[in-house]
Amino acid sequence: MRFAARLCLSVAPVLFAVSLITFFAIEVLPGNTAEQLAGVNATAEQIERLEQALQLDRPPWVRYGEWIGGAIVGDLGVSLANRQSVVSLIAERLPVTLALTSFALALALAAAVPLALISVYRPGGAVDRTVAILSMTGLSLAGYVLAPLLILVFAVQLGILPSIGYVPLSDDLIGGIRSLILPATALAVPLLGLYTRFLRGDLLEQIDSHDYMLAAKARGIGPWRALLRHALPNSLFGLMTLVGLHLGALLGGAVIVEQIFALPGIGQLLLQSVNLRDITVIQAIVLLLATATVLANLTVDVLYAALDPRIRHGRA
Amino acid sequence: MPTGRLSSELILSALLVGLMGCSGDSAPASNEVEQSPADGSELTVLLDAGTVGAWPAGLDPATNTTAGFNLTLMNAVFGGLFQLAADPEGSNPRIVGVLAEGYEITNDGRTLVIHLRDSVRFSDGTPLDAEALRFNIERNIAAPCACAPIRWPWAEENRVVIVDNLTVALNFSRPYSAAINGLPVINVNWPASPAALAAMGEDEFRVRPVGAGPFRIVSNQLSSRLELERNPHYWQAGRPLLDRLVFQSIASEQAAYLALLAGDAQVIEGVTSTAIIEQAKAEAGLTVTPQPPTAPYVIQLNTSIAPFNDARAREAIYLATDVEAIRQGLFKGWYPAAESFTGPGGLFHAAEVPGYARHDLDRARALVDEIGGVEVKLGTLQSFVAEQVVTALQSQWREAGIDVSIETVDIGSLIQALRSREWQALLQTVGSYDPESGSGVTLRFGSGQLFSGVADPALDALFADAASATDMHDRDALYTTAAKHISDNRYAPFLFAFSPTQIVTRGVSGPGLTTPIPPIAINTAVHWQDVSLHHQ
Amino acid sequence: MAALDAVVAASPARAAQPAGIALPSGLLCLVAVLCFLVPLVGSLPSPTGGDVLAAGLPPFSNGHILGTDLNGNDVLSRLAYGGRSSLVIALLANLAGLVVGATLGAISAQAGGAVDAVSMRILDAFIAFPSLVLVLVIAQALDASVPGTIVALSCFTIPAFARVARAATLRLREQAFMLAAGLSDAPAWRILAFHVGPNIVPQLTSFLFLGVGISIIVEGALSYLGLGVPPPAPSWGNMIFHGQQAMHSQPSLILLPSLCIFVTVLACNLLADALRRRWTAQ
Repeated sequence: MRFAARLCLSVAPVLFAVSLITFFAIEVLPGNTAEQLAGVNATAEQIERLEQALQLDRPPWVRYGEWIGGAIVGDLGVSLANRQSVVSLIAERLPVTLALTSFALALALAAAVPLALISVYRPGGAVDRTVAILSMTGLSLAGYVLAPLLILVFAVQLGILPSIGYVPLSDDLIGGIRSLILPATALAVPLLGLYTRFLRGDLLEQIDSHDYMLAAKARGIGPWRALLRHALPNSLFGLMTLVGLHLGALLGGAVIVEQIFALPGIGQLLLQSVNLRDITVIQAIVLLLATATVLANLTVDVLYAALDPRIRHGRA
Repeated sequence: MPTGRLSSELILSALLVGLMGCSGDSAPASNEVEQSPADGSELTVLLDAGTVGAWPAGLDPATNTTAGFNLTLMNAVFGGLFQLAADPEGSNPRIVGVLAEGYEITNDGRTLVIHLRDSVRFSDGTPLDAEALRFNIERNIAAPCACAPIRWPWAEENRVVIVDNLTVALNFSRPYSAAINGLPVINVNWPASPAALAAMGEDEFRVRPVGAGPFRIVSNQLSSRLELERNPHYWQAGRPLLDRLVFQSIASEQAAYLALLAGDAQVIEGVTSTAIIEQAKAEAGLTVTPQPPTAPYVIQLNTSIAPFNDARAREAIYLATDVEAIRQGLFKGWYPAAESFTGPGGLFHAAEVPGYARHDLDRARALVDEIGGVEVKLGTLQSFVAEQVVTALQSQWREAGIDVSIETVDIGSLIQALRSREWQALLQTVGSYDPESGSGVTLRFGSGQLFSGVADPALDALFADAASATDMHDRDALYTTAAKHISDNRYAPFLFAFSPTQIVTRGVSGPGLTTPIPPIAINTAVHWQDVSLHHQ
Repeated sequence: MAALDAVVAASPARAAQPAGIALPSGLLCLVAVLCFLVPLVGSLPSPTGGDVLAAGLPPFSNGHILGTDLNGNDVLSRLAYGGRSSLVIALLANLAGLVVGATLGAISAQAGGAVDAVSMRILDAFIAFPSLVLVLVIAQALDASVPGTIVALSCFTIPAFARVARAATLRLREQAFMLAAGLSDAPAWRILAFHVGPNIVPQLTSFLFLGVGISIIVEGALSYLGLGVPPPAPSWGNMIFHGQQAMHSQPSLILLPSLCIFVTVLACNLLADALRRRWTAQ
C-alpha cells in the first residue's frame, strides 16, 4: 500500500507536467481545430461558427482547467472533431498497436539473443562476421523500404500473407497473427540489427573487462555456462535499457508501418489528431505513452535492484 | 555488399516461408466472400488517407466537414438525390435523378423544383418524403462545411417550400440555374433519416448515420475503415449489385497498388502517381480508367503585393512556364494543356484562349531584366504530384532569371498565409464541371475572397452574370470572355487539366470506375448501386 | 574451453586485429570526401533544377552515370549532396543528444540525495515525454527545414542518450572507486566530471556511432510526417521516400541511397566496435 502510494506520488507530478507541456505545445501551433476541420475552402463565418460550437473561443487556461478537472476523476472527454468518447476511440485502436509492437519486439529479441551469443562464442570468426553483415544490413534498411519489399514477395508473388488490413486477434487468432507477420517483420528487422550489435558489443565488453570469466574458469565452469549465467543477465539489463529508450522510435516506426499496411492503430489516430489540433485525444494518447514510459523506467530500476546481488556475487 | 542484403533477405524469406508452410490455409486472403450467382459479392475499395480516406468528423451530412472529399462514401450510404451520368465512352454528361425522379427549373431560374420518387425508403424503413427532405435541407444549409450550399443566393423567406408530399421547391433571390449542376456535391444531395437522427442522437448519428443509399453501415472506424452491406429497402429492384462494400483508408499509393496485385482489394479510387499508373497500364489483370479532367492546375499570383502587383512580373511567369515540358516529362502527355479554368470534361470548355502568353524564354528573360529581377516564394499543399510540379516550375523559372524558393505547407500554414495576404504564388486547382459548382471559380478569382489573388470588379461582374444567366449559350459566351480577361491581364497562368485515375481488377465494372464520368469537383462520383464484381 | 582460453589469453593480440580503427575510419573518411569534396572538384551537374524532359533515365545514360530521378535531376549528384545533408544532420542530432542528453541522464542518476527531488522529477518528465508527439508538433510548427529536422531528431536522441547515460551511471555507482568517491567530500559536479564522465564516454561514443546510422534512416521517415529536408534539396532519406513510387520501374532510386546508408552504417558500426575494444583493453 505504501509502495503504491509512493508510486502514485512520483508518477503524478510527471504526468501533470507532461500534460501541461502538451497543452501549450498544441496551443502554439498555427491554426485551430475549427480551421483544420473546415478546410481550405470554407468561409470565415463558417469557421467562426464552428469555433463557437467547439467552444474554442474561451481562454486557454479555462480550457486546460476544464480538461484537467475531468482527467483527475477519470473523464477524458470527447474528441473535438467528432464528439466520440476519447476512451472508446483509443480503446478501439490501442490493441492493434500493442499487438504490432509486442510482436515486433518479441521477434527482434528472440532472434537477437541467439545471434549475439553465437557471434560472441568465437569473436572475429566466420559466424561473427556473417552475423555482423546481416545485422548491419538490417540496421540500414528503413522499415518503410522493407515493408513494400515484403509485401511484394510474400503477398503479391507468393500470395501466402495478406498485404493490408487487420484482423483482431480476439476474432481469429491465426488470421490475426497472419495479418501482423509482415508489419511486425518490417518493424523488427532494423531492431534486430540494433539489438544484435549492441548485445554482442556489451557481451564482449564484459568478457574483456570483467575478470569473473577467469574466475569461472578457475571454478571449472564451462564457457557457455559462464556466458549464460553471468555475462548474459548483465547484458540483458543493458539491452532492456536500450529497448526502453527506443520505445519512442519504435512507436514512430510503428506509425509508418501502420500507415503502409492499413492497420487501425494509435499511430494514425495520433497523426490525425495533431493535424486537427484535437487536444483531448492528443492529451489522452500522450498521457498513455508517458505513463508507459515512466512505468518502463521504474521496472528497469526495480529489475536492476533485483539483479544487483547476482552481479556482485558473480564478481567474487 | 549487395550480396549481404540479398542473403539476409533470403534467410528471412526462408525462415518465414518455413513458418507459414504449415499454416494449411491456402484460400485467397482476407476479404473475398464466396460468390453465389444470385447474390452480389464483396468489394474492397482503397482510398488515399490524406484526402478521400479521411472522415474525422463522421459521416452525418450536416456535420461532416470533409464531405466534399468523402463524396464516394456519402454516395454509397446516402445514394444522392441526383448524380452526374455519362454515356459509356464518357460523352453526353448530364444530371440524372437517382433518389429523386427529376427536377425542374422554373420562375426564370429562381426556383429549383425537386420531384421525389414514390416509396423511397431510408435503410431504417422510414419514407423519404418532402417533409424529410425539407428537414434535411434546412439542417444542411447551416453546416460548417465547404460542401454546404451557403453560396447559393437563397431567398429571404420561404427558401425551402413543400409543394406536395413528393415535391420540394428551393427558392432563390435571383436566377441561379447553375444550382442543379452543383447539387451532386452539396450536402443537400444526401438526405438522412430524421427518425433515426431523433432516435440515436447527434453524436452517435455521426458514426452510424442512416441514409437511403444502396448500402447501409455495418461498422465505421473513422478515417480508417467503413464496412457497408446492401440496403434491403433500396428503391430500385435488383440494386445494388454488390452484397458488401468496404472502404479502406491507406496512406501510400504504392502499398495500395501492391494490395491490388495481391488480391486483398479490388479498387483504388483516385490514383495520382504517374509511376503507379504506368505500371498498372502494363499489368494484364488490371483495368485503368482515367477520368475526364474538369479542374486544371493554376498558378495563383497575388496581385495585391510585390512582385505580382506589377503586370510585367506576371507576364514573365507566363512566358517562363513551359507547360509542354511538364506535361510530357512528368505526366507522359496524359493530361491536356489548359489556358483557362475549364477542362475537357466540363462545361464551357475552351482549349485555347486567343492572346494567351505561351512559353517564350527569351522574352521572359528580357522582361525580368527590365524589371530588375523577380523573387518569388512558390507554395503548394503537400502531395507528390504538386511537389513534382513546383519543382519543375522552379527549374524553369530560374532559367528566366527568376529567383524561386519552394514551400510545401500543410493546411494550417496555408490558411495563415492566406489570411495575412503574405503569399506570392500558389499552385492550386481551379474549376469544376460547372464553373459555379462546388466552391466555384470565384473562390480563386473573386475580389475579397480569402483564397483569391485577384480583385477586379469587371471580372466579378462577368462571373456573376454567368452564374445568373439561364441560357447555356449566354453562359458560355460570358465564361469565354472571363477567360480572355484573365489571360489579357495575366492574372494566373494555367498548366494542365489533371484528374485522378481509377484502377480496378478485372471483373469489376461500374459507372465512374470503368467508364469515365467527369468529376463535378475533384473526384468522380462512382454510381455504387451499379457496380458489379464477377470473379474470373 | 577453447573459446574461454582465447578470450582470457589473447586480449592484447585482439587489439591488433586487422579490422581495427583504421579500416572503418578510412571508410568514413572516404564517404565524407565523396560527399563534401568531389562536388567541389568534379564537374557534377546540379542536384536540383534538372530538366523534366530527361526524367527517369536509367543508370549509364548519356551524361548521367547513375541516371536521373523522377524530376530529371542527376542521381550521382543527389547522392553526393544528399550525403552531406544526411551526415551533417545525423551527426549534429547525435552530438546534441550526447551533450544534452548524457549530461541530463548522468545528473539524474547521480542525483539521489545530492540534488533536489523536484529537479529530478522535471528531468523525468522531460525524459518521459513521448518523442513522437514532440516530433509531430515540431513538424506542424516548423515547415520542413534542416534545422527543424535536427531539432526533431534530437527529440529522439536526447532522451535516448539520457537513459543510456543514466543506466551506465547507475551501473558505475556500484563500483568500488565510485563508492569511495561518494564517501569523500568531493562535490557532486566533480564526481560527475572526473569520475562518471570519463567512464561512460566510451559506451556513449559507441552509442553515438550506432545512432548516426539510425538517424539517417529516421530522417527519411520524417518525410512521411511532413518534416525532413525540404524538397527539392536531396538527402539519402528523402531520396528513398520519393523513390518509393517507382519501386518497380526504377529500383535504383531506392537501392542506391540505401547502399550509401549501408556503407556508412557499416563504417560507423565497425568504428564503434573498434573504439570500444580499444578503450576496454586499456
